[in-house]
Amino acid sequence: MYIITQGIYSLLCVIGFSIIFNLPRRLVPLASISGMLGWIVYIILQQTATSFIIPAFAGSIFVGLVGELAAIYKKQPATIFIIPGIIPFVPGYGIYYTMFHIIDNNFSQALVTGGESLFIAISIACGVVIATSVIRYIRPYLMSQGDGSF
Amino acid sequence: MEEMTLKKAIATAMETGMIMLQNGAETYRVEETINRMISSKTNSPVEVFVMSTGIIVGAHINGEPYTTVSRVPSIGLDLETIARANSFSRIFSQGDMTQEETEIILGELRSPPKFSKPIRYAFSGMAGGFFVLMFGGSFVEFVLAYLASSITVFSMDKLTVRKLNFFVKNILGGLISALLSIFMVFMVSGLSMAADFNTVIIGPLMTLVPGVSLTNGIRDLISGELIAGTTKMMEALFIAIALAFGVGIVLQGIIAFI
Repeated sequence: MYIITQGIYSLLCVIGFSIIFNLPRRLVPLASISGMLGWIVYIILQQTATSFIIPAFAGSIFVGLVGELAAIYKKQPATIFIIPGIIPFVPGYGIYYTMFHIIDNNFSQALVTGGESLFIAISIACGVVIATSVIRYIRPYLMSQGDGSF
Repeated sequence: MEEMTLKKAIATAMETGMIMLQNGAETYRVEETINRMISSKTNSPVEVFVMSTGIIVGAHINGEPYTTVSRVPSIGLDLETIARANSFSRIFSQGDMTQEETEIILGELRSPPKFSKPIRYAFSGMAGGFFVLMFGGSFVEFVLAYLASSITVFSMDKLTVRKLNFFVKNILGGLISALLSIFMVFMVSGLSMAADFNTVIIGPLMTLVPGVSLTNGIRDLISGELIAGTTKMMEALFIAIALAFGVGIVLQGIIAFI
């Protein structure tokens, strides 16, 4: 039940961000579904994994894979599916609490939160890069019936 | 004649690249696009160097080196324009477009279709509001974050039109979102409903946080584009500092006065 409600929330959240980023209207459903699936992966892993990096990393690999496949299917650049999808992972809470601890004169806690946010951001980027490289590698087989360009 | 067409092709490619970079495309995509558009018209080697603040294109016309440079001010993120510019570059490099057709499409790229204002603000509220719910906010906090993010995106749009310095703009953005959240939390507590300020403020802040520049910058760094990646990361860092500054002023004020 928790996962279903989280899925619905993330779907609506990603739709919202797609509109802020002016995503073409006919591509909004695909992008938001990829974001929702990525967030569900994140939630499931968050309940089991002990590391704070693994959920965001696996989630962004998933968003990257779905985004790249959608890009091949719709013949559009992959970024426009990936950018709205990774937004839920972005450590907004981390950035806010880093600032909060600095105002609170609690610098050691600020360093901990700031470092965690930075590593989450790096893991998101790594996940997307890995997904892109995997798809680049297997794309010739996927596109054997097409003209090879999109 | 050959020289004129090549010069025009370079100018068109430059314009397309500028539009893409301004609207938040990654560096490598802009480089690929400009390279593809010029290479389709000439056999001589073409060198393209893109940073997040400028583009340098070097080509050869009749064996003579020819270089153009342009500065690129950043506007924001507009995925519709990136998609359109991408398909325009494919069509341009495949076939023979007439000069008039190219001009028309470039004009369309400069003013892309946008969602109508009510839709944009309604959905930007959704982005912030549901983000708060995803991190365990209550229904009251959802409603407050919805209103606050909607108004924050509205005022950021108004500030973008004024062509303010990006640092000042983001300080104001952080200030507005913090003030709105605090004001609303106080209003609601007057109606004897509980809402946590720290939860509510994440909604409007998420619409301002430079998550995309940060991840794009790290992506550039990973793929070896060191200068482009560093500039993107620096931009993201300074936007984050500006936001923290804006929110921090409000929080300090509250600590001092209440």
